[in-house]
Amino acid sequence: LIAKELKEEVHNCIKCGLCLTSCPVYKQLYFEGASPRGKVQLIKNLLEGKLEPSENFHRLLFTCLLCETCTANCPSGLGVDRLMKAMRAELLEKFGLPWQKKMLFNLLVSDRLLPFFLFWGRILETPLLSLLPKGGKIGTIPYSKLPRLNRKALRDQYPEIIPVPDPKGRVLYFTGCATNYLFENVGRAVIHVLQRLGVEVIIPRGQVCCALPIFLAGARKMALRNIRKNLELFHRDDVDAVIVDCATCGAALKKEYTHILEERGENAEASKALGRKVLDISQYLTRFDLGKLLRPIAGRVTYHDPCHLLRSQGVKGEPRDLLRRVPGVQFVEMAEADVCCGGGGTFQWEHPEVASGISAKKVQSIKETGASIVASGCPGCRLQIAGNLTEDSIETIHPVELVARALP
Amino acid sequence: MDFYSGELPKSPGHKEMDRAGKDSPMQNQEAWQKFASIVGIERVKTSKEDLLTYAYDAYVEEFLPDAVLFPKSPEEVSQIMRVASAHKIAVTPRGAGSGLGGCGLAKKGGVILCFTMMNRILEINTANRYAVVEPGVVISEFQKEVEKLNLFYPPDPGSATVATMGGAVLMNAGGMRGVKYGVTRDYLMGLEIVLPSGEVMKTGGLTTKDVTGYDLTRLICGSEGTLALVTKITVRLLPRPKSRRTLQAIYNRIDDAGNTVAKIVEAGIIPATLELMDKNIIKALEDFAHLGLPLNAEGILLIDVDGDLETVEKQAALVADFCRDLGAREVRVSQSEKENEQLWVARRSAFGAVARMRPTCVIEDATVPVSYLTPAIKKVIEISERNRVQIAVLAHAGDGNLHPLILCDQRDKDEMGRVEKAMEEIVDYAMSVGGTLSGEHGIGIAKARYLRKQLSGTALEMMRAIKKTFDPQGILNPGSFLEYAA
Repeated sequence: LIAKELKEEVHNCIKCGLCLTSCPVYKQLYFEGASPRGKVQLIKNLLEGKLEPSENFHRLLFTCLLCETCTANCPSGLGVDRLMKAMRAELLEKFGLPWQKKMLFNLLVSDRLLPFFLFWGRILETPLLSLLPKGGKIGTIPYSKLPRLNRKALRDQYPEIIPVPDPKGRVLYFTGCATNYLFENVGRAVIHVLQRLGVEVIIPRGQVCCALPIFLAGARKMALRNIRKNLELFHRDDVDAVIVDCATCGAALKKEYTHILEERGENAEASKALGRKVLDISQYLTRFDLGKLLRPIAGRVTYHDPCHLLRSQGVKGEPRDLLRRVPGVQFVEMAEADVCCGGGGTFQWEHPEVASGISAKKVQSIKETGASIVASGCPGCRLQIAGNLTEDSIETIHPVELVARALP
Repeated sequence: MDFYSGELPKSPGHKEMDRAGKDSPMQNQEAWQKFASIVGIERVKTSKEDLLTYAYDAYVEEFLPDAVLFPKSPEEVSQIMRVASAHKIAVTPRGAGSGLGGCGLAKKGGVILCFTMMNRILEINTANRYAVVEPGVVISEFQKEVEKLNLFYPPDPGSATVATMGGAVLMNAGGMRGVKYGVTRDYLMGLEIVLPSGEVMKTGGLTTKDVTGYDLTRLICGSEGTLALVTKITVRLLPRPKSRRTLQAIYNRIDDAGNTVAKIVEAGIIPATLELMDKNIIKALEDFAHLGLPLNAEGILLIDVDGDLETVEKQAALVADFCRDLGAREVRVSQSEKENEQLWVARRSAFGAVARMRPTCVIEDATVPVSYLTPAIKKVIEISERNRVQIAVLAHAGDGNLHPLILCDQRDKDEMGRVEKAMEEIVDYAMSVGGTLSGEHGIGIAKARYLRKQLSGTALEMMRAIKKTFDPQGILNPGSFLEYAA
């Protein structure tokens, strides 16, 4: 059941409509049902018993990136995204999950299936990919632009504790699935930079998927095991911080776990305590004087704000500062850097046309900067941007990768 | 994935919704088929979810339409109206649905004609300084485009980031720059309209001067969608002002703020904007945004002057002196565009800060001659206290346009009764000093019951006769102010 305070929330919508053009999805579709106001009003009708949870309602509920732009812009301060998430969970029983999501999520919650999949995936990757039709796409992303699996999971490439002499700090590293299985470069960069700064990195064994993609699809119960496991492993007092390099994992650990537990009526103290400890890598690095360590590298760099970093966590300046601090780098702000890239996790394969319309604008903004590198602290954004960039000359990286390059 | 509503429903449609009058397209399979063949099935929406989301605007009351159509060209609009005329089906135009009076709602059912998908900027002509747009273009997006060419389209209603140009024309939208630059009406050069019969017609032209016959362009403007549908809009553009300075003056007494406004007007200075916020707004802002505004202040003025740099700096200094002379406890003058924006944070956050205090926020817009500004604000505060209704006052002070924000909970019948009483008293006061019922939001159904306070029987009869000339069958926006007013 939707928590009581969320039910009250629907009455706080004054229907002013100021959310309409903040919504990237509405700006592609231009009908009210696709807008935040429309969805809030439908939820209100549903809660008042004037509307059945229909197939169409369900579809509209998932015609949303959960980018939180409406929440950030609502004059009445409505937590539109929380309402949407709770409603999705509410409808799960009736509508279930599409088989693709069920498969993916089962993979993500299982600690046995994933290594198994990775093992065979690595062996079969090339032959399998060659079987795929040329020019085919997953959603908006061409097969040819899909990242390759790490040859070895990142967490298997390092010991659990990476010691440094005379440590200046001590952190737990939540690697997230994307870094662990797909973007090892990011993980290596994080560890390299922290090591060079004299920080002891602990990568707790047994950590599992943050489960955000799972509970955003409504499957909260399925996600609970992961939430509890991660809380158990990361809620520790003997470290300075819990580091994440993924905006989505950060959003999950910082606030979504708490929301879910509270809405379930469970004690969320441990989750709140963990939330206070979690820092995006760009935030943690502000504690260090990188200036004298970094070597100059030339290049024009721009930055895209991930929704889960900017709006979910309020992190805006730190990643930009990080990029600016690399000597020789020319940082250029792109137009509408804070607008969603259109990825939205599984959104881009459920609504490829809407997503590609949104991504086209993002790609245009990136091109207009003349940058050769676009940095973003979210694997979903990087996938979406790289997948939609037609210019292979523009590189898509995590900000920390640039720092690592400047830090021999 | 597509979003059309599926198969054509067999008439009658949504029984459970207790809708579908006898003229409903749902019961008229033939008309229905024709509509679908004009715009295509994916631009006809009839699912319950779609109808529910077109039942509201930013006003309180709601009305379910029978169908929502999304035309993309004047030809489609024309064809739709031909069918609607032939079958006597009610048609109500709608833009973004940010209106505050229920003007764009299907008060008698029928079709909502939603223009959001007809949204191209057709031409920006720098040589003759005009632009032609389709009705669904969002105002602020249009402004951004013309500003790239160093031109300027001034009308900026508070909803400019979502409201459409078509909506602005039909409602004659105003905004904060009204004091210097006027309202939508002042920028219209010509329109392409579609009459209820389906006939396409042009009004006005591409010249600033035009005295050929009655000014039908400005008749359509502010007609609340009762006369014709607008399919192309030609607006005049100004050169973009070279610079702008913002002043913020904080007052212990609201009278001093009001006197400053009078002084500025008297001195012949026309600021680009002249906004006032009362103590309740200040309190809401401090509770919500913690801007460091003094809680014991009774009013804040926010003043913009614009033009070429020399004049602007001279005027800014002069206005600052007026503010100090007339008792402002603190005056800040911006020195750059960035500082302008910093000073504007308070005003921009005001609506949000107030709106979140209570579930419902009714935005009044009674307007008085500018010299009555201070007494009007005091009157509103008195009315609010006497009726035990929470009201915070914003005002476009330069043109006497009050925006009492009435905070309430729509579910509380007793409270809503008091709100209504307070609104009527505010209206009565505005009338008593030569003001108007509505400065910029329009009448719609929100204020129709007060219409006779301002318009004589003859005036109303004349308006109804005009309506009849355009729309003899009465199919365009039925249930409008013309019918509501007794």
